[in-house]
Amino acid sequence: MGAVYPFTAIIGQESMKQALILAAVDPHIGGVLVFGERGTGKSTSIRALASTLPRINVVANCRYQCDPEGPRLGLCGQCSDNKGTVKAKRQALPVVDLPLGATEDRVVGALDIERALHHGEKVFEPGLLAAANRGFLYVDEVNLLEDHIVDTLLDVAASGENLVEREGLSIRHPARFVLVGSGNPEEGELRPQLLDRFGLSVDVKTPKDVATRVDIILARDEFDRDPEAFERRWRRKENALRRRIELARGRLDDIDMPAEILELAASLCITLGTDGLRGELTLIRAARATAALNGRDSASIADLKAVAPMVLRHRLRRDPLDESSSDVRVERAIEALFNQEPV
Amino acid sequence: MNVDSVWDDAEAAAAVLGVLGWQLGGVNLRCFPGPIRDTWLARIESLMPTTPLRRIPGFTHESRLLGGIDLAATLKSGSPIAERGLLAECHGQIAVVSMAERLERSTVAHLSRTLDTGSLTSHREGLSIEARAQFAIIALDEGLDDEAPHPALTDRLGINLDLSPLSIHDVGEPIYSERDVVRARDQLTTVRCSEEQAQHIVQLCDALGIFSNRAMILAVRICRALAALRDDHQINDDDIRGAMRLCLIPRATQLPQQTADLDAPTPPEPPPEESQANNVPEQPETSTKQPPVEEIIEAIIAELPPGLLAALQAKSNAQRRRSSVAGKSGQRRRDHQRGRPLGHVRGDHRRGGKLDLVATLRQAIPWQTIRKQSLGRQMDSTVVITASDLCIKRFKQRRQSATIFAVDVSGSAALQRLAEAKGAVELLLADCYVRRDEVAVITFRGHAAALLLPPTRSLVRAKRAIAGVAGGGGTPLAAGLESIYNLHCLLERQGVTPHYVLLTDGAANVARSGETGRDVGTEDALTAAAVLRDCGATGIVIDTAQRPQQRARTLSETLEATYVALPKASAQALSQTIRANQAYAS
Repeated sequence: MGAVYPFTAIIGQESMKQALILAAVDPHIGGVLVFGERGTGKSTSIRALASTLPRINVVANCRYQCDPEGPRLGLCGQCSDNKGTVKAKRQALPVVDLPLGATEDRVVGALDIERALHHGEKVFEPGLLAAANRGFLYVDEVNLLEDHIVDTLLDVAASGENLVEREGLSIRHPARFVLVGSGNPEEGELRPQLLDRFGLSVDVKTPKDVATRVDIILARDEFDRDPEAFERRWRRKENALRRRIELARGRLDDIDMPAEILELAASLCITLGTDGLRGELTLIRAARATAALNGRDSASIADLKAVAPMVLRHRLRRDPLDESSSDVRVERAIEALFNQEPV
Repeated sequence: MNVDSVWDDAEAAAAVLGVLGWQLGGVNLRCFPGPIRDTWLARIESLMPTTPLRRIPGFTHESRLLGGIDLAATLKSGSPIAERGLLAECHGQIAVVSMAERLERSTVAHLSRTLDTGSLTSHREGLSIEARAQFAIIALDEGLDDEAPHPALTDRLGINLDLSPLSIHDVGEPIYSERDVVRARDQLTTVRCSEEQAQHIVQLCDALGIFSNRAMILAVRICRALAALRDDHQINDDDIRGAMRLCLIPRATQLPQQTADLDAPTPPEPPPEESQANNVPEQPETSTKQPPVEEIIEAIIAELPPGLLAALQAKSNAQRRRSSVAGKSGQRRRDHQRGRPLGHVRGDHRRGGKLDLVATLRQAIPWQTIRKQSLGRQMDSTVVITASDLCIKRFKQRRQSATIFAVDVSGSAALQRLAEAKGAVELLLADCYVRRDEVAVITFRGHAAALLLPPTRSLVRAKRAIAGVAGGGGTPLAAGLESIYNLHCLLERQGVTPHYVLLTDGAANVARSGETGRDVGTEDALTAAAVLRDCGATGIVIDTAQRPQQRARTLSETLEATYVALPKASAQALSQTIRANQAYAS
């Protein structure tokens, strides 16, 4: 593997970075969808995030990276049975890259053919979903992935559990991961019911002002010439960000969520006419994660306002032919709603 | 620009590739097979004798590309044995991809990913493979006018070289030697790009309408390589100009405005007001030491080869147009992947199917006694399986359908009801969205038909395309039908079921030859309609005339298509007609 461009050194694309960090703080937010043109740094940012994420405690010898202190319900069969003497080890948060050509058996897991043929044993061999448990699963060009694999991914991401019923196996194991998808909208759209499953959605555009683009060139040039030195130079910032995410993760449960924020979130969703309750739930979670990230004890209206566009923009009931961007509609609704409220 | 300098650029491209290697991404070489291409490739070999060129055939299957299970060895040993993929084998080499314009979308995705990460991860067939794979790609683009490699790939390749205008006599002497390249490679990291030069490059990109960060970054790398080749630690204007020729101009999506009278033998001076326009938005945020924008524009103009520019523009349009088409041609093979189960068939699962384990065992069981005896040794496995036992699952899948909209935008139609026709198309588009159809839009007017939008799922683009259509001119109905026919055949070949929706008043008055006249026009139109009918196309004709007349009805009878008159057609009725028609066809 070559050197990885540091996450904190990425210039511009603030909303994408913010969305990824929020998803790292609270995995329950439910994934990030990044759509944008070619060459906007989508893949670079997501791959860079991997090295910035905090490390986690896992049960040693567990194939699903179970949490040693986690509630029994969310553990794999093996770990929830032998509670008591658990050996823990520390490892990097898994970031699994799902390649476009991955076959279904590798994604969900399958019968271990070697053991089956050799010893006549029926043993389950975990797939990528198991490897991504408690971490990130990144799908580049998600709109080009075979529909049945996307369906599986979203289903598992929503339930947090992978059910395998194939080749005579019947297995369930935890698979809680943050699904990150990226793609180029020119090459095809995602089905609306899939869009809704992503917690946050950002639209990345190439920066058009000269100063930013010059900065990008210079930073990248420096990285090209001496990747190690560049990494060293940014290590402090990387560590600071990691620390911030870690702290935010720890205090997430203690964040106070005032009733007026809940009400505001609900009325925002009603104004925009989003289907279901995912919009409200994600709004609240994202606002809470923002507050935690900024070291505050209680979520504020500003937090809600900051996350609303990325939470709601892909949930609007959309006329497929209506070109007026959903961002504009969300912003208009926010303006209308927040101006009434005494802030 | 004369042809000599094209070859000089080719020499420079070869040397830059040698210096940067995988950092360049690679070269997109547009050239037919022949001595020129061979000479250029030989030049690369002579510049980098230690770096072998590795051919990747265009239709390499995924399992070979990424590696996977080595079936024969696995069955022999009884435990999974991995086979290294072609991409991993290319590490440290240069991959030469032939027929790059015909690559399948998934192959393009794998190549792009490998270029991005410099490593290969694949999870297939119960094996997880991780390998280093840093290499540059030479994409051999043999496309005709419209064909070009997928933009996802070309965007990642630093250099875009078009050698097709050259003849073998234009090939010059080598400019760089192997020594130059080796020395430049060592020196590369010491070359700096100053802030001023970075600004310079950004402004060039702006003027040419290039907004991909990747293009800028690659341009800087090329500048540094060119400087290193000159044995210098500083990038100079020549380097920037070189990078512009190699990397930026081929990506241009817009021309600096002054190129309107490009055919003039000498490039005109930039009119002051244009450069002013360019200057205004940039001035506030850039520092004062920036080079004047006029100079940059002038530099671009000087580099622009007159005829080539229009061609480049056409090419970039073609790339945009092709983007949604590429990779669809695997449609039929995919019925090994999903759909309704349809039993199994003997075969190797590496060709894209799913292994049917039970059926495979069932095939193998009757032979066990014989096999164990014939092997003559004690096998510790319970079942002896050979490659001939393997069965893959079969599925039946509905073919994807596509709707071709052919809209008559001639004067007669435009005068009457172009706006209403547009409205009708939009309604139908919404319906296509529900069915996940692809849509394509053809318009015809004046003397010819144009494929306004190639088959795409992006309905917003379809709508935009239709909304922007202006009307006027004669009615070349024959040309319109012919272009429906062409697209129909193309889609059929790709495994998509096409239907057409023709909106016209049937008042043909331009023949295929371009001759005007009601009689010849109608005659040609009916001939074209018969051809379209005979190829099995199904569709509907929507009469857009103010008062429905016999003309469109005759046409629909010749086409054996459903006839709907627009005045009566409410939104509902229209989409129901289409739906019923498609249900009947499939």
